Amino acid sequence: MKKVLEARIVRKTFEEGSQRVEVLRGVSLDVSAGEIVSLEGPSGSGKTTLLSIMGCILTPSAGEIHISGERISGNDNALRDARRKSIGFVFQQFNLFPALTARENIIYALGIKGHKGARALVEADRVLDAVGLADRKGFLPRDLSGGQKQRVAIARALAGSPDVILADEPTANLDSAVGVQILDLFRDLAKSENKGLIVVTHDPKVRRIADRVAGIADGLLLQEAHAA
Amino acid sequence: MVSLARKNLLHDRIRFAITLAGVAFAVTLVLVQVGLFLGLLDKSTVTIENSSADIWIVAKNTPNVDFGNPFPETVFLRARGVRGVERADNAIVQFVNLQLPSGATENALVYGLSDPTFWKLPWKVEAGRAEDLSRGYNLIMDRSATLRFGAFDVGDYRELGGRRFRIIGRSAEAESFTTTPIVFMNFSNAQSLLGQLSGQTTYVLVKVAKGFDPAEVAGRLRPMFPYNNVHTRSEWAAASRGYWIESTGLGMSMGVTVFLGILVGVVIVAQTLYTSAVENIRQFGTVKAIGGSNWDIYRILGEQALIAAVFGFLLGAGASYAVRPAMASLHLTVLLTPQFSGVVFIGTVTMCLAAALFSFRRVALIDPALVFRG
Repeated sequence: MKKVLEARIVRKTFEEGSQRVEVLRGVSLDVSAGEIVSLEGPSGSGKTTLLSIMGCILTPSAGEIHISGERISGNDNALRDARRKSIGFVFQQFNLFPALTARENIIYALGIKGHKGARALVEADRVLDAVGLADRKGFLPRDLSGGQKQRVAIARALAGSPDVILADEPTANLDSAVGVQILDLFRDLAKSENKGLIVVTHDPKVRRIADRVAGIADGLLLQEAHAA
Repeated sequence: MVSLARKNLLHDRIRFAITLAGVAFAVTLVLVQVGLFLGLLDKSTVTIENSSADIWIVAKNTPNVDFGNPFPETVFLRARGVRGVERADNAIVQFVNLQLPSGATENALVYGLSDPTFWKLPWKVEAGRAEDLSRGYNLIMDRSATLRFGAFDVGDYRELGGRRFRIIGRSAEAESFTTTPIVFMNFSNAQSLLGQLSGQTTYVLVKVAKGFDPAEVAGRLRPMFPYNNVHTRSEWAAASRGYWIESTGLGMSMGVTVFLGILVGVVIVAQTLYTSAVENIRQFGTVKAIGGSNWDIYRILGEQALIAAVFGFLLGAGASYAVRPAMASLHLTVLLTPQFSGVVFIGTVTMCLAAALFSFRRVALIDPALVFRG
């Protein structure tokens, strides 16, 4: 399968005053099209930092990131900004724009990615249909349940057909039943739309949908295993 | 593309209302204060602008039209001989004591002209005829005099400088900067009324012949009258306005008012935009995380500032135009021209965009990784 996102021996060091904290110590991880990887680890293990680096939000101190085969140089901010547009993000806190309806949230994100006009409208409706929110397009986030908000966030991540989606604790703010629904939705969409999906999580339920589980602790990848 | 800037502004309506109120307050303050000032300044040149004189010959260093100084009355004869001069006549502008029926004494500003109709002083006559000023001790009093002198009718008599004059007409729009009521009369009456002006005048009004440029004719007149100043209409109006602006501190006062108005506007807009930027920092982080750049966020803040500027200006300008009738009833003119309003609009937009700059620095430092924090 084609690798859509790859981190090679990534290191990340943060400097706090005179202290240097090495959060990632040479981590390699990849995800292929249609594959779901669960990235697990305790708090402070470096999993969100790795996700930020793979999502071109943070710059690695050393190592390489490849998106769909293209190497992203650590110092090229413009390229990183541009490549970020080809990645879908799903956040623990949903991070929807509260003043925009479900549909507008997606249209706005599409606008940033360069999709405008009628094309954006059609794409927004397509992804909202895909997450089962066709009847909630005109709702503001405050009028949606937690699960519906996360569905909008997933639809936003899917909009514009990125090759890869990065999800940070997507079930952490949902009750167990809704969490399962969201994970099933992730699985169905990743498979049907052939997206690479990395899910950072503490939630053991994620293993149910994962093709592969990667464990991280103290900035090192501990083990990778194919999910049962 | 959906406007996140507009939606966010309307989403928080109370904050938006406060922002608009701040901008509108600043706009109203500037428009009304400066409009009042311009209205007042307009009065300082109203006779210059409305008279048919293209050139005014004045005594050396005469500061403005109200404060005419005497010089020999024969000057106009020499002026008449200059090429390009169609007509030149003497005119007197002087303050004179006026006795009211109540026994009180007030000041009147006398305009004495040999041919008031030709020189269009007065230029707007509501009652009576300016031609009749030369038939005896007659005068035309401006309607604005009612404020200082009380009601008067055509046919009434008033005592000026110890001499009885008959009011034969009523003019309009002839209001002086000093609020002293203007009365128009014949030149010889004015001269004889003011004993010290025997054989003297305070101005020579010059009408330039068709096809001649007033500036060119003024240039020819200047060397002939080294003890006078020769001004074209626009020069004389500018000098008269300049006197009141510079010599009285009014200009400084207006400058301070405008500065305070702008300061209030900047502080309110900067404060509300900055608070909004800080409160929405997660949203801006999301914009960055999904691929937006700092410029996308600057655009949001800039658009919000622009919306605040446009709607705040409309509110402020609406309020300023709305108070004009009330001000007029108090005999105060708020002069609001499209040009002046345009300048204030551009100033408002600049002010709001400048206020947004304070937030630019804050959002530029946003770490998009904050979106991953719980």
